[in-house]
Amino acid sequence: MKVMISIAAGLGLASAAYAAQKLGEYQPERPPEVTYAKVCGYCHGKNVGPIILGRKLDTDMIKAVTRHGRNGMPAFRPTEVTNAELDALAVWISKSPARTEEHGK
Amino acid sequence: MSEFELNRRGLIGASVLGAAMVGLASCDNKGTLAPGVSKADFAGAIKAMRSVVGDEWVFGDPEAVMPWGKVYVPDPNGRHVPLGAVCPRTVEEVQEIVRIANKYKQPIWPISTGKNMGYGMAAPATPGQIVLDLKRMNRILEVDADLGTCLIEPGVTYQQLKDYLDDNNIPLWIDVPTVGPIASPVGNTLDRGVGYTPYGEHFTFQCGMEVVLPNAEILRTGMGSIEGSTAWQAFKWGYGPYVDGLFTQSNFGIVTKMGMWLMPRPPVYKPFMIRHDNMADVPKIIEAMRPLRVSSLVANCNLMMSASYQLAMFKRRNEIVPDGQPLDDASVKKAAKANGLGMWNTYFALYGTEQTVAAIEPIIRAQLTASGGEVLTAAEMGDNPWFHHHATLMEGGLNLDEIGLLRWRGAGGGLAWFAPVAAAKGAEAEGQTKLAREILDKHGFDYTAAYAIGWRDLHHIIALLYDKSDPEQEKKADACYQDLVTTFGKKGWASYRTGVNSMELVAQQYGQTNRDFNKLLKNAIDPNGVIAPGKSGIA
Ligand SMILES: Cc1cc2nc3c(=O)[nH]c(=O)nc-3n(C[C@H](O)[C@H](O)[C@H](O)COP(=O)(O)OP(=O)(O)OC[C@H]3O[C@@H](n4cnc5c(N)ncnc54)[C@H](O)[C@@H]3O)c2cc1C
Repeated sequence: MKVMISIAAGLGLASAAYAAQKLGEYQPERPPEVTYAKVCGYCHGKNVGPIILGRKLDTDMIKAVTRHGRNGMPAFRPTEVTNAELDALAVWISKSPARTEEHGK
Repeated sequence: MSEFELNRRGLIGASVLGAAMVGLASCDNKGTLAPGVSKADFAGAIKAMRSVVGDEWVFGDPEAVMPWGKVYVPDPNGRHVPLGAVCPRTVEEVQEIVRIANKYKQPIWPISTGKNMGYGMAAPATPGQIVLDLKRMNRILEVDADLGTCLIEPGVTYQQLKDYLDDNNIPLWIDVPTVGPIASPVGNTLDRGVGYTPYGEHFTFQCGMEVVLPNAEILRTGMGSIEGSTAWQAFKWGYGPYVDGLFTQSNFGIVTKMGMWLMPRPPVYKPFMIRHDNMADVPKIIEAMRPLRVSSLVANCNLMMSASYQLAMFKRRNEIVPDGQPLDDASVKKAAKANGLGMWNTYFALYGTEQTVAAIEPIIRAQLTASGGEVLTAAEMGDNPWFHHHATLMEGGLNLDEIGLLRWRGAGGGLAWFAPVAAAKGAEAEGQTKLAREILDKHGFDYTAAYAIGWRDLHHIIALLYDKSDPEQEKKADACYQDLVTTFGKKGWASYRTGVNSMELVAQQYGQTNRDFNKLLKNAIDPNGVIAPGKSGIA
């Protein structure tokens, strides 16, 4: 649970309702902050993709770009980020404040 | 403001829904059916697949299939557009889908996580295929902390596996290709990919497979065929012919489980960078590294990175030279120097105990200093982003820094890896670098390349980077790629692996006997030719 706790701490969340994956079980649905940390956040805010937090981006736009990719960004299929995860993620990205530790031109 | 910034980055357009539409148009799914498959067959297969995995997990119209169709490789004629996608959860569902494929003669293209970026992503080699997307099969079935082994399903990403090990305090490492978080051990190993710890030659560390054969039967390789065996992930060879290799870079079956070995976390891990100042230092570096690699004094697969490749990760081309100008060595050198880099930057690490690392380090330092390189460690490089990136990789850490390559040129999005093999000899590498630069120059592209120095071999990893939003440049990139493959082939240098854009071409180079043998196997194992036709040029 180390990883989850550090994510929760990083976001100042009291708790993240996320069960880690167990042996022999499928990956559970990930809350948006986990999806962001484990997928999006490796590029966005790390000098690879544009900063997307704190910009009040349109949720439909976020979903469309996720599914189709754009220029250098690969497309993410519903098998990778489920529709339910993406719905929550788009809202979360749209509402999240900017993070000072993120950078990108 | 934010719209402007996003546009300037060139990654997200002003109107994203508009952007998605552009994507739609460029995807250009003409709905070409596979040879011999009628519209009714395709429709029948889709309907039958829906009854197996549910409507929600079958995709049959061009718009819905688009996420499986995005590729970085040049595809000027739209040949690599899948016709559908089906996403099973269990091996029984995979078996059913294989039966359906046979019934309707509908080809299916298996992927694990489908992030074969720069080799075709999730898209098939030939038109008319349905992608068999195994990402939902993502269970970690076994981890043996004592033996350092695991058994996983195809949809398990490196991220999932690492999280599992971390969450459970299991002191085993994973070994990642550069793009670990979104890629998979199964997909990468089946394409015989590489990583950068001592377990970096992935197929070498694979142990045991479960395969759904084209007749829908299940084969377990090695000890997996023995009822009650506990050695499936411990002993690779089993009995009789060793067949696991048949299921890599091939289309003879669908791998639904794979075993592999995991490296125990060493007490001491010490990453190094060797900086050489001149493009012409290639042979010196290879000659100095080879004995260290052959003897395993240096046990991990080294990356010897050109300055231009390194700069392309975090910079844009027009920060180094103005648009339209060739990327000259002097400009590259200047930018490299400003960022703490040489013209060649070779990364390796020592793994062991305090005593073993202390004993080996002076031998290595002497050897590499004599080659004219500066031997650097964390003490000198600090938080240099390039050093940090490679230090992360060499301990099986996760990042996606190198995706930055995709925006080197213009709007970006274009990448085809050309990866010819050579024996680990300085003269070989010198010849390859010279030839690659000539061909790339001729077509107006940059030499953004690296050498992965293996145990006795070199993978010369050349990133052909282009602006995919420019159809003319895409055509040029396609022509350049073909030229690279063909011209290198004449010198006896052929690829270790290739993208869907060039599988046929590379297969031709490996010769008719090789092709005939593969075809003989294919006809025997998959008489209807339904599994991934065109993979590695095997139809
Ligand atoms: C910037 C960058 C850096 C990269 N660095 C590296 C690197 O260091 N090392 C490296 O190896 N690659 C590298 N790649 C290439 C590629 O992204 C990785 O190899 C990646 O791991 C492959 O994607 P995947 O794991 O999702 O496999 P998949 O795309 O799922 O599979 C790859 C192929 O294997 C076959 N296959 C997959 N699953 C099955 C199955 N279950 N049954 C039968 N056949 C199957 C299919 O032909 C499929 O197309 C890099 C790419 C980029 C863009």
